[in-house]
Amino acid sequence: MSKSEKKIVLKSLDNEAFEVEKAVALQSQTIWVMCEDKCVGNEIPLENVTGQILAKVIDYCKKHAVVDGDGDESSEELKNWDTEFTKNMDQSTLFNMILAANYLNIKSLLNLTCQAVADKTKTIDEFHTFLNIENNFTPEEEAQICQENLWAFDD
Amino acid sequence: MKRRVNLDSFPTDLITEIFSRLPAKSVGRFRSLSKLWRVMLHRPYFTKLFLTRSSTRPRLLFAVERESEWCFFSLPQHHNPYDKSSLVVAAEVHTKFSKDTKQYSCSYASGLIYFPDMSVCNPITGQSLAKLRKYRKSTSFLGFDPIGKQFKVLASDRHRIMTLGTGEMSWRKIQCPFPHGYIIEGICINGVLYYLVYTYVKATDQETKLIVCFDVRSEKFKFINGKSFGFWGTKLINYKGKLGGIDWKFDGHSKTHKLCLWVLEDVEKQAWSKKVYTLPENEVVRNTFVLGMTNTGEIILSKMYTSKTSYIFYFNPESNTLQKVEIQGIGEDRGRVYAFVDH
Repeated sequence: MSKSEKKIVLKSLDNEAFEVEKAVALQSQTIWVMCEDKCVGNEIPLENVTGQILAKVIDYCKKHAVVDGDGDESSEELKNWDTEFTKNMDQSTLFNMILAANYLNIKSLLNLTCQAVADKTKTIDEFHTFLNIENNFTPEEEAQICQENLWAFDD
Repeated sequence: MKRRVNLDSFPTDLITEIFSRLPAKSVGRFRSLSKLWRVMLHRPYFTKLFLTRSSTRPRLLFAVERESEWCFFSLPQHHNPYDKSSLVVAAEVHTKFSKDTKQYSCSYASGLIYFPDMSVCNPITGQSLAKLRKYRKSTSFLGFDPIGKQFKVLASDRHRIMTLGTGEMSWRKIQCPFPHGYIIEGICINGVLYYLVYTYVKATDQETKLIVCFDVRSEKFKFINGKSFGFWGTKLINYKGKLGGIDWKFDGHSKTHKLCLWVLEDVEKQAWSKKVYTLPENEVVRNTFVLGMTNTGEIILSKMYTSKTSYIFYFNPESNTLQKVEIQGIGEDRGRVYAFVDH
C-alpha cells in the first residue's frame, strides 16, 4: 500500500480539510461503509459536522486508535483521558459532539458524550434552553406533574 | 461564513439516550419538561433503556428499620478497589414507610418491595401499588414473571396466590403437594421464586429442609433437597442467574470464619456444587451477615445493625480480598439493616 492510500481526507461542513490515518477515520462506521462501498475517493465530505467539532472527533479517534487493544493499564489511562476530554467542553459543544458521534456512528464516543451531558445538566431550564424545548404546560398542569412526581423534587 | 449545526432539531432518540443516563430523580423531574417528554419518560421502552444504560445502576437498595419505621436508601453497588475515594460512599435517601413487621421479613422482586402487612411499594418513588386483604400470620413472597411482566404475591404457607395489576385483585387457591412448614428464606431469580422450608415429610417420617422452586408464570411447584443447608443464617443468592445459598460458619478449631457457597448447577438433576471460602482476618466477624452477591460475583456483607459509623464489606472470592466501605447518611441510631442487591 502506498503512503497516500493509508491517509484519508475528511472535509467538514465549513470546508475545513483534515488529513488523517485511515485506521483513525475507520472507527467511524459511517466512514467505514463509505470506504467499503468505494463510493468516495480519498476525500470524504462530512456535511453535518463543522470543522471545530470534527477536529475534536479526530482527537478522540486518534487517541483511541493508538491505545485500543493494549493492556489494563492503558484502558485505565484511556478512561482518564476520556474524562479530561469532556470535562472542559461547554454544553453546546457537547450537544454538537453527540450529533457528530451519532452521524459518524462512533458508539463509544456517543456513549461518552451522552453520559457527559447527563452528568453536567442538572436543571430542567438547561434542557429548555439548550434543546429549545418549549414548556407547554399550563401552571396548573405543571403543579400536578410535580405532585405526581413528588419523590423526585424533595431535595 | 461559519455555518452552525442547529440544535433546535436535536433528534428525540438522542435526547432519550441522554435521559436514560440520568439519575432516577432527574428522570422524575424531567417529566415536567414538556407534554411530549411527560409521555416519553413514562413509556416502558424508556424504563427498559434506563435500567440497562444508567451508569448509576445497578445499585444496592438499603433499608434501615428503626421502631417500625423503614427508611430506604440506595448506594452505588460497585466500588473501585484502586480508588481510595470510593471507600466512603454517601447513601441517596429515598422514602420512609411506617410498618409494623415484626417476625416476618419483606420480599423484593424487580424493583418493588412487598411488606408482610401485605402492601406492595416502590421504595424509590414511595408509590404504594397495592394493599392486599390480610391473612393473619402468613409468610409471603413477591415474584416477578419477566415474560408476562406480572408481579404476583405467593402466600406460600396458605397456598394462595394473587396477581397484581389492574382490575379486582383477589387471592386464588393453588395446588401444592407439600404441607407448609417453617419458611426460612426466599429469593426471586428470572421468574422463579425459590424458598427454603423446613417441613415434615410423611413418607420418611422425618423433618427435612427443602428448596421450593415456584415458577411465577406457570404457577407450578418443584422441590429440591435442601438438607445441606444450615438451619439458621442461610442466605439465598442469585449466583449469575443460578440459585445459590451461603451459610456462614465459624470454625472453632482454626478460629476462622468461613462462607460455604452452594450453587444449584442443574435443577432437574438436583446437582449442587460447593465451595468454601475463608474470610481474611478483619473486623467483619461479629454480628455480620450476607446481603447477597453482586452481578460481578462479589459477596456483600453488612453488620446486622447500624451504628455511629456503618460499613458494608465486599468479599471477592477470586482474589480472597475483603474491602471495607463506609456508608454515610443513613443515620447514627441503632436500626436493623436489610438490603437487596442489583436494584
